[in-house]
Amino acid sequence: MIWYALFFIVPIGFIIYYSFGTKDTTQLLPVDLTNLTTSNYSNVFDATFFQVFKATIRISITATLLCLVIGLPVAYLAAFKVSERWKAIILAAVVVPSFTSFLIRTVAWRIPLAPNGTLSKWLVDLGWIGPNGIQILETTTAVQIAIVYNYLGFMILPLFVALDRIDVRMREASKDLGAGRVATFFSVTLPLAGPGIIAGVLLTFIPMCGDYVTATILGGAKGNMIGSMIASQFSGAQNWPLGAAMAVLMIGAVLLTLAVGALLVWLLPRAFSLFAPVAERVRARSYARSAQAVEHGSAQTKLPFDPIVALMRTWAVLVMVFLFVPILLVILHSFNRSTSFTIWSGHTSLKWWSELFDGGSAWAMVVRFAVIIALAFVVRMVLTRTTSIARRRLNWVGPIGFAIAVVANGLLTDWYRDIFDFAGIGDAIRNSFIAALGATIIAVIIGGLAGVALARRPGRWATVFMAVVFLILVTPEIMDAIALATWFPRIQDIPVLGYPFTEGLGPFNGGVNKLWVGQSLYASAVVTLIVRARLAGLDESLEEAAADLGATPSRAFRQITLPLISSALVAGGLLSFTLCLDNAVISTLISEAGSTTFPVALLGATRSTIKPFWGVGAVILFAITMAALAFVAVVLRRSGSSSSDIAATLTGS
Amino acid sequence: MDKEIRILAPESFRENLSRRAFLKAGTAAAGMAVVLAACGGSDDSSSDTTAAASDTTAAGSTDGLASGEWSRVINKSSGTLAMYTWGDYNDPELVGALADSELGVSMKVDYYASNEDLITKLSASNGQSGFDIVVPTGPYVPQMIEKGLLQKLDKTLLPNFVNLDTPYVSQPWDPNDEYVVCKDWGSAGFLYDTTKITRDLATWADCLDAAKNEASGNVAVIDAAWDFCGPYFWSEGKSANTTDAADLDAAEKFLVDELGPHIKAFDSYPSTKIAEGAYSLAVAWTGDARQAFSRIKDAGGNPEDWKWVLPGPKTQIFMDTYAIPTGAPNPEAAHAWINWNLIPEISIKDLSYHGYHTGMKNMDQLLSELAPTLEKPDMIFFSNEQVATMEPQEMNEALDRLVDILNKTKAKAGA
Repeated sequence: MIWYALFFIVPIGFIIYYSFGTKDTTQLLPVDLTNLTTSNYSNVFDATFFQVFKATIRISITATLLCLVIGLPVAYLAAFKVSERWKAIILAAVVVPSFTSFLIRTVAWRIPLAPNGTLSKWLVDLGWIGPNGIQILETTTAVQIAIVYNYLGFMILPLFVALDRIDVRMREASKDLGAGRVATFFSVTLPLAGPGIIAGVLLTFIPMCGDYVTATILGGAKGNMIGSMIASQFSGAQNWPLGAAMAVLMIGAVLLTLAVGALLVWLLPRAFSLFAPVAERVRARSYARSAQAVEHGSAQTKLPFDPIVALMRTWAVLVMVFLFVPILLVILHSFNRSTSFTIWSGHTSLKWWSELFDGGSAWAMVVRFAVIIALAFVVRMVLTRTTSIARRRLNWVGPIGFAIAVVANGLLTDWYRDIFDFAGIGDAIRNSFIAALGATIIAVIIGGLAGVALARRPGRWATVFMAVVFLILVTPEIMDAIALATWFPRIQDIPVLGYPFTEGLGPFNGGVNKLWVGQSLYASAVVTLIVRARLAGLDESLEEAAADLGATPSRAFRQITLPLISSALVAGGLLSFTLCLDNAVISTLISEAGSTTFPVALLGATRSTIKPFWGVGAVILFAITMAALAFVAVVLRRSGSSSSDIAATLTGS
Repeated sequence: MDKEIRILAPESFRENLSRRAFLKAGTAAAGMAVVLAACGGSDDSSSDTTAAASDTTAAGSTDGLASGEWSRVINKSSGTLAMYTWGDYNDPELVGALADSELGVSMKVDYYASNEDLITKLSASNGQSGFDIVVPTGPYVPQMIEKGLLQKLDKTLLPNFVNLDTPYVSQPWDPNDEYVVCKDWGSAGFLYDTTKITRDLATWADCLDAAKNEASGNVAVIDAAWDFCGPYFWSEGKSANTTDAADLDAAEKFLVDELGPHIKAFDSYPSTKIAEGAYSLAVAWTGDARQAFSRIKDAGGNPEDWKWVLPGPKTQIFMDTYAIPTGAPNPEAAHAWINWNLIPEISIKDLSYHGYHTGMKNMDQLLSELAPTLEKPDMIFFSNEQVATMEPQEMNEALDRLVDILNKTKAKAGA
């Protein structure tokens, strides 16, 4: 609670306070608070700024609905219509793209959409579009496409988890009662999937509202979004009060939209019930028809070729193409020869890979790495043959070998100086991992404790606390970003408290510590929710039993509660790690020279020409992330979770 | 030596000198600069550095360049050097492998998009930004000094300073060369696609007119307040530094209402997107405009389709400078870097990459010997007549208004 007070409530409070101030660039903090005024608010409403506001909300709502429409069939297919194996493959395919750098994926959209690009030229040659080529970049359309793309995964996963949980028997019962598939879908499946839909909408809509990266990279002047406008008020224009006012209004707008959405969701079934007689008649007729069909031994359910499922499969394949094309383009363009990432020179070349790497030491490292891993397997084989150690233990040899390889190659220390010629990228990748790891640990600890407290100690405090967590979840990131960016300089001067942020802790400098706090904010709220949801599903009798058996509260916590929530902690941790690794908005505004992460560095580079070595960096980052994930997955499998469980934990349900 | 000589060739920089209110810091030691400007001598200010490296360890070839004329001291350093600069502003080789092998430092580079960004970053972190080198534009230097964001340079660590030509030292923003060293200077103009705009454009008025007509919806402008508003004032025959309320109102009316709806992007580095085919008319700084031609070629386009204009009646001139922020973790390496960049071979290598005049002495000779095949030199070096039409930015109370105009235009363009 104190944590949140310190790094969320108070900073946000200051932003609200600033929003009544006036601009004064002569001071270090360019806000004059002596004459409080509401003129900033009227400025927002007066000016054309309001247009951008409306555009942002419009883009976000459209994108959320598109995500829902695009994602639902895929989630449905994965949940009901395919084998376990394919389920895992589809889920992996949906998750994997989100482990590529968000920014580079967005930048990659410039490649197929460029008016002079290959795709554009083909379309022109085919005569499908005018001679000017694809004119989508620098418009709202480009932003719309990329935003749907960027958030689609966050919609599909919760949908899948919700659908997957539906008891198949419910659907079968519905069909047995004579409902057609359409009727079953609308009256059984969809209502049961409700919570998943709501989670998906929240997970996509709110970040979209605060997203400024996509609009900055693809939107040009026409596709502007409020996030970039607020950011530019804080950095470029140095008009903090106006930016603060915009940010406050934005939270208001987001809450309002959500409220309207909730109202609609609440109203819709009731509105439907008005038409109940009509619907009933339609339903009755469809029942009758399907009953007839059943009587006549209709082929519908027995057809070897089911058109709807086929359609869904095609759709899913299209969605996968949509999800993977930008990533493949990133990989292709990292072998680009031209001086700019987005412009394809027409030839593949290793130019930028060799420019980035110090060839000799990089290869030496790869070789060392491979040798250690190979050794681990040899050891394992030898041990299996010669000793009688349990298989279960032997299975750990692989991961341990991997860990030794990581440490022995200095992957935790100075590798980036050795293998990269251009230190910036290696540094950024390393900082990304350090920041994301630290933030994840903080998020898991704080979120875990908070979740337990919320689930087990209800009361007035819990309500307040829950409200704070909810507020953190709905506050667009840009707001947290500016709040923290203006907050840190203030607390730096406070003794003890400011210490970690100026002097750093041990080997981690102040900037990294700031990133830990900043990135863990949203992540810890997510963990809180997951842990709470997990505990809410279990009754307290186990802990009570432990207490009855004489366990102290701390012991009961250690031996009962902790194991119970461990899967939720792992889930929350994984989700946090992904979120933190990709965090650009908060990190950009609070990072310092010594703590630049990959997204921050790349965002800086997007301001001018992006060199192809950024693509190379993204590919490396992706490879390392996947390796780390594979490691986690192996460990998880050792502890006996199925792929479906892992997917479910990923979305935190 | 007379003070006149020491001022950047464009008279315009000097014109502003007398009006600068923030110069008080410098006036006390006005005579000092004369000593440093003494041409030729390579050792007068480097007595206590590792001057042994002079001449012999210089990067690249020294053939043909009279060695006595240049100072080529390299001060080996170590550790990490964090630079906060404009996008794509240094030869990647210099920042990468060469900095490593010749200076012994490994560079980290972050980018900002405007001087305001830089100042916000430095002031928000209260001397803890962690950067060792920043690259502010001249007119912004005084307010940075005033806010205590920059530290004084240790001139004994900059023996190669003598390689700078007299017009590029002792600028009005730092008359005694205490805080900053010239990195390079350049101008701005516009590029247009002659297949889309068939008439000849020569002035800012032509440019703005084409923006509203043939190029409507495909126009890119510079995303920095003064640079964005300047073209309008110049097209009206006014100074871009005007503080006249009527002028500013007129500018707002034109830029926001008339020009705004035609703008496609606020893009300070349009070269890549020109090659992607996004624009048909783009205002750009000279270095980026020059790179556009090679990028168009990379993308398989025809560079001949594009025309570059250094527009009349007036356009801008800017000088970017190397400075060391207060609280820099590795000031020694920062000095070493600045000093290294003042070696003619390094300087010309950098120049060939970014395409801005680096202020070296005897530029003609350096070019003919070090970079005889430099492409499009007319976009880097300007005649005295051209330079005479260039106006530098002046810090005054109108800047807030210009920032406001830029923001309103952005909102309008997006509406």
